Amino acid sequence: MIDVLFLFRRDFYKILNLPRTATLNQIKKNYRKLAKELHPDKNKNDPQAAERFQDLGAAYEALSDPDKRKVYDKHGEDGLKQQGGGDQFHDPFSSFFGDFFHFGGGSRDEGQHHVPRGGDLVVDLYVTLEEVYNGNFIEVVRAKPVAKQTSGSRKCNCRMEMRTTQMGPGRFQMMQEQVCDECPNIKFVTEEKVLEIEVEAGVADGYQIPFLAEGEPHVEGEPGDLKFVIRIQKHARFERKNNDLYTNLTITLQDALNGFDISFPHLDGHNVTIKREKITWPGARIKKKGEGLPQHDQNNIVGDLYVTIDVDFPKGELDNTQREAVKNLLNQESKHRLYNGI
Amino acid sequence: MNIIVQCSFLILLFDLISSNQDAVTCSSTFKLINQQSNDRLHSHDVKYGSGSGQQSVTGTPNADDVNSYWQIDGNDCERGTPIKCDSTVRLIHVTTKKNLHSHNFASPLSHNQEVSAYGEDGAGDEGDQWRVVCTTRNDYWLRKDGIRLQHVATGKYLHITGDTYGRPIHGQKEICCYQYANSQNIWKVDAGVYMRPSTEPLSSTRDDQSNSRPQSSSNTDHFDDEL
Repeated sequence: MIDVLFLFRRDFYKILNLPRTATLNQIKKNYRKLAKELHPDKNKNDPQAAERFQDLGAAYEALSDPDKRKVYDKHGEDGLKQQGGGDQFHDPFSSFFGDFFHFGGGSRDEGQHHVPRGGDLVVDLYVTLEEVYNGNFIEVVRAKPVAKQTSGSRKCNCRMEMRTTQMGPGRFQMMQEQVCDECPNIKFVTEEKVLEIEVEAGVADGYQIPFLAEGEPHVEGEPGDLKFVIRIQKHARFERKNNDLYTNLTITLQDALNGFDISFPHLDGHNVTIKREKITWPGARIKKKGEGLPQHDQNNIVGDLYVTIDVDFPKGELDNTQREAVKNLLNQESKHRLYNGI
Repeated sequence: MNIIVQCSFLILLFDLISSNQDAVTCSSTFKLINQQSNDRLHSHDVKYGSGSGQQSVTGTPNADDVNSYWQIDGNDCERGTPIKCDSTVRLIHVTTKKNLHSHNFASPLSHNQEVSAYGEDGAGDEGDQWRVVCTTRNDYWLRKDGIRLQHVATGKYLHITGDTYGRPIHGQKEICCYQYANSQNIWKVDAGVYMRPSTEPLSSTRDDQSNSRPQSSSNTDHFDDEL
């Protein structure tokens, strides 16, 4: 028996350059990165580009669906084929980049011809500092109006033209007149698709992520684009300044004097430890190197975390015995200094 | 008795699942279509010539205008969580960044309560609050269901009377707030960008050359005065 099934035994993990334990986010990230590189429009000289791009799409389709992935992990690609429905291949590319296929070409205007464009839809995308620290993929559903032909006709390509009419012998009049063509009638139907937005680790507030041709349609031209603008929400514990993070830590007076050993969770859950033997004063600042945010364009460069300490003084009043103990302990003269602190 | 308990549990579970399917979620963007007149809630850089003189809000019959998009303010809720019926939201006009607003001014055509777009870049006031009043028995605002938007401060409903403007916004309808709930103040979402609830726990997509973090020991901590 000829081993026809040999054709179908692609190693999807290898195609995506991932271990078998890869998370869904890692699968999305690698698909997106590789799809940009392997797109046939970018590899016009490579005869195998289309096939490699298709393999990449098939790998993503199989591994990004938890049920399909289970089948694939157990029975390989044969198992998926047997399950059936392997023929409805949606190209996932447009979920990550939008509808426009022209790549590496740069501008969408074809030189001289000005193609009318629909409006751009620019939407705020609210993200958490945790997502900026770790990176994430956000799924959204884009329901967009799409022009469909219906019965009847409508006026299109309307323009102003000069019409010359003869008023009498030798007398002419030139008038401006609106002239339209007749086109098939259009109605708008709402179509849905899922978009995958990548929040890259270290991304800045205000950064724009475009999805080409996913904006508003134009009846006589191309759709505009959909753009997401990153809006980082205020975090309860950390403040961001470029690649550095800032936080405030309150400790007790006893810990301030006697020293302390404190741990707190960072934005991905790992623990940050501060150990201190000496006395700590209010406003003291500690720098934890490498505990800031990753740099957007180069994730292995990481900023620092600055922790500013404030001391929580006990309330109330000490009794005489305690006051004596404090005097003996600190042995300070009651000298004071007045100064302008503003 | 057991079968009743089991059935109730299953119904509850089904309700929980279906209430999240295709719900309108926090920070989603959408167009709102009036179910009676088929006009879309709309705004633009045109001010009222009467009343408050603020930016006008109208109803447009056009389906392809980017000025008909409104976004649920995402600052007060977690992105992707379904909006519960009877909760309050702020609706931000996407292209001008002003809030859907109403107040004690008369609308220009019907002399009901004026609805405007108000606020600079997020700043607004209590006149921006709208209660989502559902028309079905669901707990959440589902995309397929009609709802009413009730102005919290005055109790009136976002409404289209049918009155139409002339120039310069020829063909657009007046939007106002009206006291009584009826068929002219039911709205349904249509085109938009809907945030999905996040199902997966956050897992990193960082490019780390090494997976291990720098071991934090107190030797490497710098205190300001010890440098």
